[in-house]
Amino acid sequence: MNKKEFDNILNECLERLLVKGESLEQCLQSYPEQAAELKPLLETALAAREASTVQPRPDFRARARYQFQSALKEMAAGKSRTSWGWFPRWATVLAIVLVLVLGGGGTVFAADGSMPDSPLYSVKLATEQVRLTLTPSQMGKARLCAELADRRVTEIAYMANKGDVQQVELITERLDDKLDLLVVLIEGRGGVSLPGILPAAPPPEEAAAPPAPTTTPPPPTEEAQPAPPVAITGPGKGWGGRDADDQNSNQAQLRNTLASDAASNRAVLRAALDEMPESVKPALRRALAVSEDGYEEALDALE
Amino acid sequence: MQDEESLVRRAQKHDQEAFAQIYEEYFDRIYRYITFKIGDAVEAEDLTQQVFLNTLRSISSFKWRGKPFSAWLYRIAHNQVVDYLRKKKKAVVPLEENLASAGDNPQQAAERKLGIERVLAAARHLTDAQREVISLRFTSELSIAQVAEVMGKSQGAVKALQHSGIVALRRALSVTQNE
Repeated sequence: MNKKEFDNILNECLERLLVKGESLEQCLQSYPEQAAELKPLLETALAAREASTVQPRPDFRARARYQFQSALKEMAAGKSRTSWGWFPRWATVLAIVLVLVLGGGGTVFAADGSMPDSPLYSVKLATEQVRLTLTPSQMGKARLCAELADRRVTEIAYMANKGDVQQVELITERLDDKLDLLVVLIEGRGGVSLPGILPAAPPPEEAAAPPAPTTTPPPPTEEAQPAPPVAITGPGKGWGGRDADDQNSNQAQLRNTLASDAASNRAVLRAALDEMPESVKPALRRALAVSEDGYEEALDALE
Repeated sequence: MQDEESLVRRAQKHDQEAFAQIYEEYFDRIYRYITFKIGDAVEAEDLTQQVFLNTLRSISSFKWRGKPFSAWLYRIAHNQVVDYLRKKKKAVVPLEENLASAGDNPQQAAERKLGIERVLAAARHLTDAQREVISLRFTSELSIAQVAEVMGKSQGAVKALQHSGIVALRRALSVTQNE
């Protein structure tokens, strides 16, 4: 038998052993004359196959997936940047028009994925503010606030990766603002005026309804009498829910979301701290502290 | 995985879902391929991540010319490994918890770890081409035809390398066992 023939037999046995799941003995029985030579080779192949059980560590896998998704978003944002480069100058006006008149759409979607170094980023911030202002219920605002805080953490990690300390610090302040606002909303002080461009709109059903016991306060002013915490109010529309069950369910959902966000954002920022150069680390430590304290306070407020 | 060509075309248009599918499909296989090639499971993590970031950046340059997408992807991984080995040239770090699989008790995990460490140490005695074939065949589970595509060799040449690679690996394993 020449070498080429033996190579083919060896390969056939490997396929049967490793792909089809046949036993070593079955393979060797098919080639009794070559069995003595085949056996040690197939055993070695099985040992090599053992190396295929090695797996990436779960924490690395999570971090890698996050980084990959961030890079993907960055790329998508970069792609849209070319056609919307003129946008920032009109960001606020267009954000209002897009959200109010057109109900969002492609541009808002494109801006949503943008990062602080993108021209669309100002549209993203303006759009967020419009959405926050127009969201009728306290619960809706709180959920949106949680989502926006989560975005800020993504942006912090992204800008840290670019070595931009100034942006990391700036976005950390925005994160702090969002988490503070989240606590205010959870505590039922949602009547405070949201820093923004439009006055807060009352929920449509409340606007038309006669005055009724509700935890959603009337038109927003800093001086408005704080409403009692939503968590302890009776049936009503405190979080936009229809009854106490809805309210409890909504709160439980928000609690789960916040607990999950707190853990994942802590992991993201710690991973960034491990990887980034020393120059960025002080700003990242501040971001980590703001994130941990803010989420803890929000979760406490939900208790 | 759905039709690979349409998936890759969608990914080339920055379709996040398509990219996610490609990522999930290949991540572990590329990781194992790199681990076997460099013998360091921790360093392999960073390299694997870099392969996918490079893939993301350069996927628009991928053209369908009769070769499967996996051949292109493994080529990126191969180049990453070559760059790493050129720069690094350092002793291999012991393997850590990456080697334990779910369901292993401590003794099984330790035995598994020892077994894999021996194989990875022995693999360093192979030629580059032999190591490439063994890695693609046994850790990434590619067929002979796929390995031939990745390496740009005939199937006969890959079979010959597979044979000589296993022989060399066996010899190296018996040496490490006797040490």
